[in-house]
Amino acid sequence: MAQLKFAEAVRAAMAAELAADDRVIVMGEEVGKLGGVFTTTVGLRDRFGADRVLDTPISENAVVGWGIGAAVEGLRPVVEVMFSDFSLLAMDQIVNLAAKLHYMSNGQFNVPMVIRMPSGGGTNHGPQHSQSLESLFAHIPGLIVALPSNAIDAYWMLRDSIRCDDPVIFLESKYLYFRNSEEVDLEHGPHGFFARVAKAGNDLTVVTAGRMVQRCLEVASDLEAEGISCEVVDLRYIWPLDTTTIAESVSKTGRLVVVHEAVEFCGWGGEVAAWVAEHVFMDLDAPIARVGAARVPIPFGAPLEDEVIPTADRIAVSLRAMARY
Amino acid sequence: MATRQQRARKEKDVLADHHSQWGLELYRTMKLIRAVELEIEKMHHEGVMTGSFHSSMGQEASAAGVCCALRPADIVTSTHRGHGHAIAKGVPIIEIFAELLNKAGGTSGGRGGSMHLHHRMSGFYGENAIVGGGLPWAAGAAWARRRLGASDISVAFTGDGGAAQGVFHETLRLAQFWNSPCLFVCENNGLAHSMSTDEVFGEAGAITKMVAATGMLSHFVDGRDVLAVHAAAEDLVSEVRKGRPAFLECAVFRVRAHSLSDPEYRYRAKESGSRWLESNDPIVLMRDRLGPSDVEGIDAEVDRQVAEAREEAQAMEPAQPASALNGAYATPGLGADGAA
Repeated sequence: MAQLKFAEAVRAAMAAELAADDRVIVMGEEVGKLGGVFTTTVGLRDRFGADRVLDTPISENAVVGWGIGAAVEGLRPVVEVMFSDFSLLAMDQIVNLAAKLHYMSNGQFNVPMVIRMPSGGGTNHGPQHSQSLESLFAHIPGLIVALPSNAIDAYWMLRDSIRCDDPVIFLESKYLYFRNSEEVDLEHGPHGFFARVAKAGNDLTVVTAGRMVQRCLEVASDLEAEGISCEVVDLRYIWPLDTTTIAESVSKTGRLVVVHEAVEFCGWGGEVAAWVAEHVFMDLDAPIARVGAARVPIPFGAPLEDEVIPTADRIAVSLRAMARY
Repeated sequence: MATRQQRARKEKDVLADHHSQWGLELYRTMKLIRAVELEIEKMHHEGVMTGSFHSSMGQEASAAGVCCALRPADIVTSTHRGHGHAIAKGVPIIEIFAELLNKAGGTSGGRGGSMHLHHRMSGFYGENAIVGGGLPWAAGAAWARRRLGASDISVAFTGDGGAAQGVFHETLRLAQFWNSPCLFVCENNGLAHSMSTDEVFGEAGAITKMVAATGMLSHFVDGRDVLAVHAAAEDLVSEVRKGRPAFLECAVFRVRAHSLSDPEYRYRAKESGSRWLESNDPIVLMRDRLGPSDVEGIDAEVDRQVAEAREEAQAMEPAQPASALNGAYATPGLGADGAA
């Protein structure tokens, strides 16, 4: 057991896999000497060597492509893209090669690679450092999209991802990196692509992921005092989507609100809503609601950003309205 | 790296020894590429084949010269114009035909098609339909193999168009930084689709100068001359095998239009290709060096081989449509339906 913040859990997961498997390597800008701009690789180079924790030039596309080559040869690269926004420079290699290679070679190649990306807002980094791109990645066949909400999941989902035989887009909320710390069992943890019921409740279901989970739990706790019992489902993975857990919860509560940090329009919340409408419609007592980011770039200033990304207040308004419907 | 004199002597040796297995093998490989691609064109005209096709006619000496300098375990990645590279690296032509005919027995069971031939067993890691997209994973794979103790190298083919891509420069830099045993081969055919390479980079050889200025071992060769390409490739391959990248520019010519559907008359004279071929055909140039008695047997054998492969491929079982929904993931249980 260890008391870890989110960033420390990410680092501990890489350390554990680097120690367990010689094939694991870590590559990225500033991951070596500096230890990562968010400290997620501090100490790894000293412990595992500069040939396993590799500083790269600022060449996202080539570095990801290089990782693909290393992965097909049997290494297990963990590529850090410093901000998820920078992954757009590597989209060709991610989307056109990593995601498709297993399929278009008819199984001749596997790409066991993790691409870690600090993601989302909440740190006043402005429009080109604050996007939540999970819906975009979830749209690409061949990718797995992980979006952990807490240190325990950050640790175990990352370890699972490094052991996965497919490319995983691993999105880490940089807002969460240094906030709460949690007791993480470093020996035994959850494995698999399932969603987690973060809080049980009876009146309505909130399906959320990543940074919004904590926010939804806080709102749910406040609403408890008002007599509204919310069930909060933390998806953990946007793809594969654990529709079983979603269906069970919605069938119980009859009401669904989807909350995410990504832009609401064409966001993954729309997919969850559509799936529920198609498969669990008869159990619904109210129209499905969505709370996502407004369709504008993420502004720099905190008060401006609060107008764009779902705040506790906006989530609470939506949940109250859903409960009253 | 051999000096100019050494290389001239070596080429003379190769030339003098042109009845040796290399000369015949190089000729045979070029002839096979030509015959397969002509057959593919024919099948398109007959309506038997669908989709796009980018002929490498006129560029065969580059594919044959470079790939015949490799070992079977060495890796090759290629471009949208990559049938020649696949054939020269040893991908069975029956599987290429089968892939283009959407047969279950094709290199990718009909999933890849003309621009996505992958054949790991031959070391042909694959074509890539994104210009420049095949470069970084070739360098990464070679680097990984070296780490794992093997002496194999990669060859990453690109065109002159690829030399204008960011990933070209990123990958060459990274390969130097991390000493990847990767040979980058730029087939400069003078046209990036309709864009004149002379206008973008300058005359043939300008890309070599650009790369040489980065400190990479670089060489320019006349891509019509298969013996010259092979000699240059052998020199560079032996350097690369020591553990550093190198670059080779082959000046070639694109005889055909960009693709089957390309209205090339809008940017060059329609007869440009055939006119060039009359006096520059690398296969004819090599045939003249070898002599008719050497090549007649090969020509007949290649023609027979191609006809048989086509016939066998056409008789194969078609890819099952339902197979399209499987295999996007290596992880068991992850399917197309989105659920775990």
